Amino acid sequence: MTSPAKADTDVVVPPRPRPRRGVSLLDAGPPIALVVIFAVFAALSSDFRTVGNVQNILDAAAVLAVVACGITFVLMMGSIDLSVPGVMGASAIAVALLVANNRNDNAWGLLGILVAVLLGAGLGCVSGMALVSLRVPSFMTTLGVSAVGLGVATLMFAGVQPNITDEMLRGWAVNRFLGLAYLTWIAVACVLVGWLIQRYSRLGRYAYAIGGAEEVLSLSGVKVAPYKVAVFTLAGAFYGLAGVMVTSQLSAGLVQAGKGYDFAAITAAVVGGTLLTGGRGGVLHSAVGVLLVTVLTNGLVQVGVSPYWQGGVQGLIVVAAVSAAVLPQRRRNQVTK
Amino acid sequence: MSTPVITEPASNPAAEPAVVTGAPTAAQRVTSFMPVIALVALLAALTIADPDFLTQRSLTAAVRTSAPLVVLAAGATLVVLCGGIDLSIAALCSLSTVFFAMWLPDLGGLTILVAVAAAGAIGAVQGIAHVVLRIPSFVVTLGGMSIFSAVALVISDAGPIRVIDRDATGWLNLYVAGYLPMSFFVALLVVAVISLIIKLTPLESFVRATGYSESAARLAGTPVDAVKVAAFTVSGACAGLAAVMLASRNFSGSPTMADNLLLPAVAAIVVGGTAITGGHGSLWRSLAGALVVTLLRVGLPIVGVPSAWEQILYGAIIVAAVALTLDRSKVLIIK
Repeated sequence: MTSPAKADTDVVVPPRPRPRRGVSLLDAGPPIALVVIFAVFAALSSDFRTVGNVQNILDAAAVLAVVACGITFVLMMGSIDLSVPGVMGASAIAVALLVANNRNDNAWGLLGILVAVLLGAGLGCVSGMALVSLRVPSFMTTLGVSAVGLGVATLMFAGVQPNITDEMLRGWAVNRFLGLAYLTWIAVACVLVGWLIQRYSRLGRYAYAIGGAEEVLSLSGVKVAPYKVAVFTLAGAFYGLAGVMVTSQLSAGLVQAGKGYDFAAITAAVVGGTLLTGGRGGVLHSAVGVLLVTVLTNGLVQVGVSPYWQGGVQGLIVVAAVSAAVLPQRRRNQVTK
Repeated sequence: MSTPVITEPASNPAAEPAVVTGAPTAAQRVTSFMPVIALVALLAALTIADPDFLTQRSLTAAVRTSAPLVVLAAGATLVVLCGGIDLSIAALCSLSTVFFAMWLPDLGGLTILVAVAAAGAIGAVQGIAHVVLRIPSFVVTLGGMSIFSAVALVISDAGPIRVIDRDATGWLNLYVAGYLPMSFFVALLVVAVISLIIKLTPLESFVRATGYSESAARLAGTPVDAVKVAAFTVSGACAGLAAVMLASRNFSGSPTMADNLLLPAVAAIVVGGTAITGGHGSLWRSLAGALVVTLLRVGLPIVGVPSAWEQILYGAIIVAAVALTLDRSKVLIIK
């Protein structure tokens, strides 16, 4: 029997932290799936495997990529954001009315774009404030903010469609650099910025931590609430930029600019490996998810499936991906609401 | 000292009598009557704004437009009472209008039953997916919303389908006792029957227990999974019935006909005072909530507010009503 004194002197050597071997399925699965799906469609359709079509896919992914950047931060916290259609609609109309257009004499140019992005950030901030101060679950606050955004957009729309004549904004969708539209490069920049924020800023790291274990974070003295509001604001700014991009593509401001993007972005994030429970995934995961969703959409149309199925396919993917992600935790006695 | 005397903590419970929440406080009582108060206040305000509003004709018209919303909200209330949410009701309702319009030429009068049954079955599938795959209900129904819209677009070719045989649903456009629109009467009947069934069977305690504390209910032997699937089934069937009402009013079925009813239906449920966290609430509350929402929709143009404000108002109302009715003791961390 060892005496207590001896036990004290015994040095317990902690097992050496071993680096994880390989990459987990969650991280490696989506890129593999992307390659496989791409190969399958390339084999099935001769129109699919052209350079022009690959350019099309990347250009088509631009807006979704920006939306997905924003929503990823919210999902990382374990919250959800359904406010995309409203925020994008409001910023799309706002930018159309602020740059040179056929409705008024404004010609604010870049400043107009900035204001539209700020409007998006403001609406995102409202979602965050309602979540934090009224303590209403995020899917309800963002559903409400989406309705508010659509209402604001309809008020600004005022029955006459604003067509933009601003050359710079219209050029974004038309002019190409290295074979890709300017909008696509903007999306690439957004993914990069999003990744830097997620990786190197306190905001991104705390977003992870909030999703992982919020109690622990607040018990260690971090004031969680301001970071939550900031994440929703950041997400709103991304949606605002996405609304501007849609306006650039259509050369007109539409209230329905963001219709369907909420669900497509959630699909992309989930498929990319960002869990709805929070704490996992990230901007790069979602970017892969965006490419997956866009390749699937494009490929199905090329193969001859009706484009109306698009939403249905996304719905199936979300349900499948989420159920696959919760599969390891099935045996735990946890409550699913 | 072998037995430390812990006097302080022991005396504490005696000093503070355990708070057993017996009678509701005044504030709670006021909030529980909130939908009715809001309804009366709205009626009064609209009557002051336009004295012609409080006539039998305009009230009949208002009540008639509210019927599909009442049915939709009543069904989804059951899911909310169980602690979940059904975001697919509007899309399922749109899909059901397409089903109804497509099947009517072949099935005739039976179509109503078949459409309601089909919608109920689809609801059950969602419930089973939620329970078996253990996916949060809002993810299942968000996915369902997307899938149902796609199916409706594909089978209808993205256009409205005319209802030519109007005899099958003609009775829905009649009036009970000359004043009460038949569709609203049916909606009332649905609310009453479901409420009665719940009240007269153990279902009431099952649903409440599931909503208040699912894990406790499960440990106590409540068939939680079955109750949830049943709630989703009823929610789907109600969406089907609402679709029959819509199709009979518009004489067509269309893949987007009911899509804008989701927000009003959610608003009706939360304005009625049913807690989004589950357990607390009732179908009658959603009926009152649906009437409040309808009056707002009908009343805004009367007061002279542009209809774009309707959306903004719904958004604000949903957030405010949820904030008022949320059971904060249950969710420590709001995601």
